Amino acid sequence: MTTSTLAPAALGTRSAERPVAVALAAFLGLGLLFMAGFSPAIALHNAAHDFRHTQNFPCH
Amino acid sequence: MIIRLLSAALAAGFIAAIVVTGLELTLTSPLILAAERYERAEPSHQAAKTLPIVLAHSGHDHSDADKAGPDRAAPEWQPGAGLPRMAFTALATLVGGVGYALLLGAVMLACGREPTARTCLAFAIAGFASVALAPGLGLPPELPGSEAAPLAARQAWWVMTAAATGMGLYLIAIRRSFIAILGGLILMIIPHMVGAPQAPAGTSELPAALAAQFASRSLAIGFVLWVMIGLGFGWAWHALARDSARGAARA
Repeated sequence: MTTSTLAPAALGTRSAERPVAVALAAFLGLGLLFMAGFSPAIALHNAAHDFRHTQNFPCH
Repeated sequence: MIIRLLSAALAAGFIAAIVVTGLELTLTSPLILAAERYERAEPSHQAAKTLPIVLAHSGHDHSDADKAGPDRAAPEWQPGAGLPRMAFTALATLVGGVGYALLLGAVMLACGREPTARTCLAFAIAGFASVALAPGLGLPPELPGSEAAPLAARQAWWVMTAAATGMGLYLIAIRRSFIAILGGLILMIIPHMVGAPQAPAGTSELPAALAAQFASRSLAIGFVLWVMIGLGFGWAWHALARDSARGAARA
């Protein structure tokens, strides 16, 4: 665990930015995945249909 | 760091989407199209044949679609057959790929790991295990037209299994204390003890060989997706650092 832990210097001085970056990326990522993989809207489902089946999202 | 994380995820998702869309269109889309011929052939979906375009799903245990019914005046929108459908598959792959890449980046930074190519690959394989392998044990990748339990139950089990497996892997690989490893193992096993929602008993018209081929191809493509996201993220993260360093040196 210690070998590849982020050194604060490597990320610049603004390390307080990290929680914000993590939260933002997680929020955006979950939003995009919901849209592509889970949204019950029929239009979104039909558009992403083949992707959903291939990536093993539960579908129809 | 916010810009760097978002940019690296965008780049990784884009790189992965290019490769994976190619694989989807050549390996799984033909199987899905073949399966839809069986789906349409089911007697309950006879009416769907009168539509000028083929519904991706003609109301198979889809409560909304059942209500709508194939004889409704305006069928739900769906991409046209051929090129438009391929384009939307590509778009969905891009959206999903970027989404997974954002989560990968978020998890790596939250765990305090520097996203080197090696770390990215390790986390990406953990991601594949969490969202493809573990849910696939209970709910194997399915073709349209196969029998399945209600959608909401399967989605809930899928999300819980993915979350429990991810958390379990985190406890085992990063926490590493005895209690954490034990807890992680239990977390990973519980969804499978509970069991995935079972399909109602009934025979599908779908040839088993087609379904088996689809399941293995789907998992292989899922693996490629994650590996490409991992490699792409590692590359982009460092390429972006080099760019900004060069920019700073010039300024």
